[in-house]
Amino acid sequence: MINVLNIEYEKFKLNNNLDVVLYQDKSLPIVAVNIWYKVGSANEQKGKTGLAHLFEHMMFQGSEHVPKEMHFRYIQEAGGTLNGSTSIDRTNFYESVPSTNLEMVLWLESDRMGYFLPALSQEKLDNQIGVVSNERRQNYENQPYGLAWEKLFSTLYPENYPYHWPTIGWMKDIENYNLEDVKKFFNAFYSPQNASLVIGGNFEFAEAKDLVESYFGNIINKTEIPKLNVKPPKLTESNKVILKDDVQLPRLYLAWISDKAYGNDDAKLDILADILTGSKNSRLYKKLLIDKQIAQDVSAFQYSGNLNGAFIIVATPKPGVKLDVLKKEIFNQINFLLKSGITKGELRRSVNSYKSSFIYSLQNLDNLANQINNYNCFLNEPNSFIYDIGRYEKVTGKDVISVTEKYLNNNFVELNVMPNKKN
Amino acid sequence: MTIDRATKPKEKGKIKFHLPTIKRFTLSNGLKIIFVEKNNLPIIQFSFISQAGSKNDPTGKKGLAYLTSLLIDEGAGKFDALQLDDEIESLGSILKCSADQDSFSISILSLKENLKKSLNILSLIITQPRFEEPDFIREKQKLLTKILQLRDNPEYIASSAFRKILYKDSPYFSSTIGYYKDVENIKPEDVKEFYKQNITIDNSTLVVVGKIKIDELKNLVEKNFNNWETKEHKKLQLNNITPTKANYYFVHKDGAAQSQLRIGMISKSRNSKDFYARTIMNSILGGQFSSRINLNLREDKGFTYGASSSYQYNKHSGSFIVSTGVQSVHTGESISEILKELKEIRKNITHDEVNFSKSYLIKRYPALFETYSQVASNLMLLIIHDLPDNYFDTYIENLEKVNSNEILKAAKENILLDQIAILAVGDRKIVLPQLEKLSDGKIIELEI
Repeated sequence: MINVLNIEYEKFKLNNNLDVVLYQDKSLPIVAVNIWYKVGSANEQKGKTGLAHLFEHMMFQGSEHVPKEMHFRYIQEAGGTLNGSTSIDRTNFYESVPSTNLEMVLWLESDRMGYFLPALSQEKLDNQIGVVSNERRQNYENQPYGLAWEKLFSTLYPENYPYHWPTIGWMKDIENYNLEDVKKFFNAFYSPQNASLVIGGNFEFAEAKDLVESYFGNIINKTEIPKLNVKPPKLTESNKVILKDDVQLPRLYLAWISDKAYGNDDAKLDILADILTGSKNSRLYKKLLIDKQIAQDVSAFQYSGNLNGAFIIVATPKPGVKLDVLKKEIFNQINFLLKSGITKGELRRSVNSYKSSFIYSLQNLDNLANQINNYNCFLNEPNSFIYDIGRYEKVTGKDVISVTEKYLNNNFVELNVMPNKKN
Repeated sequence: MTIDRATKPKEKGKIKFHLPTIKRFTLSNGLKIIFVEKNNLPIIQFSFISQAGSKNDPTGKKGLAYLTSLLIDEGAGKFDALQLDDEIESLGSILKCSADQDSFSISILSLKENLKKSLNILSLIITQPRFEEPDFIREKQKLLTKILQLRDNPEYIASSAFRKILYKDSPYFSSTIGYYKDVENIKPEDVKEFYKQNITIDNSTLVVVGKIKIDELKNLVEKNFNNWETKEHKKLQLNNITPTKANYYFVHKDGAAQSQLRIGMISKSRNSKDFYARTIMNSILGGQFSSRINLNLREDKGFTYGASSSYQYNKHSGSFIVSTGVQSVHTGESISEILKELKEIRKNITHDEVNFSKSYLIKRYPALFETYSQVASNLMLLIIHDLPDNYFDTYIENLEKVNSNEILKAAKENILLDQIAILAVGDRKIVLPQLEKLSDGKIIELEI
């Protein structure tokens, strides 16, 4: 089983410092191209939030040799799929196409890396400001509890801390971007030295290398990459905030500042989350949803980024149950866990779930290429599946208890989403 | 190598792709098995599917099939609900139970090394569900709360209201999740009865995709299912669905940040002859990102994050639906633009559009067989719609041979301008005046 996780790859850097990883898998006639730019909402400034995400949209608006709308069209015409996404730390773009079209994808990706600015226009910007405003309305403002996350994180982190604002940005910022902002952002972050390119699937090594060199080799780095300099965040006191929303049931959110992605405690906190809410037998699920039936749902997770992480618990009460009742029960269970420890069965269940999910994740080439890129960017080693599983296998019951003590005894933010009115 | 950025690089050669070979066999008790061997990873997926869903819910008990799917994995054989879940989780297997309009399914995804245990658990769930009263009460309560929560979700409100408009008095009128008052009335015996009447050997198929040889598989499934006996399933009589009446409908959602739109009509079933022509036509109209409707509303006007159209098929009929969420102040204009596109496509389709859409649909085909669950879902499609085993093998050929005239004909015959229902879900103050202008004031208002 471990064999399929030990992936073989070739890695090299171009002269302009573009990082390239090639991973061959010929089981289907498909090739996936996945590129990470190491820029996310954390790299934005106050007043210009959401720019990294807007940029993800702008990158589909064409470049010097690719007319507007044609990026999508060419990939679709070839039978491919494509998209991009923006997180707090990175922006990724990915295409998966029949293997006969690798060159076209590299042409498209390199054109927007090297020749984006000549094709930029006010009209395109205005159009995408409209689209992104509607994305914000659709996926945040018009969704039940849709504004909870930005409220939670903007309370957890101080105003100037890079994780304070949502990746999509504040609406007033979205509406006010100008062309100069977009140009500056592009020059600062969208350069070969700030990117990592993974090609996965059905291709020949020599040809792929040649193509990458030909299409990306001449792209120059315009400026130094602005570095993020921040002190680790600290919550000096526990905070409770209330957000009114057009919902039937209230919802409780609890958040603690925790360890960063791939930090020493990161996997331990993942296991803790799984032991609390990962299955029907997990501590909080069983207590709140089965024994007492006071909650409709409960979930816990470790949400970790480059700078730090947050450990989060979310629960929705059954109609008529007060949030304080849920909160009290959650803390009772955490305290009980600290006293009673973790059973071997609990630990085995969690670790096995993580292990098999690694194997299942290999089914989809897009996912696989993205995970390889994640390892390359975070760990500087694309072949890290076995290392990553090892992080979970190594966790002991004592580790779980000690991270619970270390993080969950600290100050925290409590958010209550409350229904606007009684129905 | 030298490159020329000014021209799009050409495709290099043609891809070779072999569709999976479908094998069928039947167990001694009559249970049908469909199997595809897939070896690239040490994984196996079993999907058990019965041809019964919310269309089989009795009147006044809408939500019964869905509740049954919530309860089916709450204890089986010697395991109670928590023991059963512990068994599955400890194997690292993933169990999924679901119900839709036409089908009821239970799937387990397992590592090859845990194949025997996973299959054994699946067979226990199918053949010896416990349906115990405390579990019933808990899951029913969960479903009631879920129905309550869905009142918050504008997409759900729009889709379920539109379903009711299109399917009126057919059993398909209700969304699978059901209604609060109906679910309140469901009793433990109803779930047991639903299961007995519908989840029967003659009404079910076990789909298997994975790393296993057929002989080993035959032995294993025979061993796990040979004790299972059932009666024949209860047949369902369905009336024909009547055509859609052209009307404007409105649902008020206080303070909504956007308007959800659904525009469409009842259409032909999956098996009707012009399926391929309709598929290409829809792809041009709204079936993918570079379609007319999305490029108009999103990339030209910036009114929306996305707009699309699709054919939604059930076993007995189908519907054509345009869906989008648009900025409230542009609701009327968005409806007009969509109606304009529906009229336009009946008049003119270019060769470029046809070539693009055919290329898109044909060349992406291999990617639809990438994951184990994708292959299993494709096989389940064959079962629901009674498609022939050579369906996948002939799919590309069938798309290729459709010509432009047939596509235009499909537009004329399927986009029926006098049968278009239009629904908007949004804030009354902003949206209603816009609808009134379009409809000469004749708007039917619905409750959530």
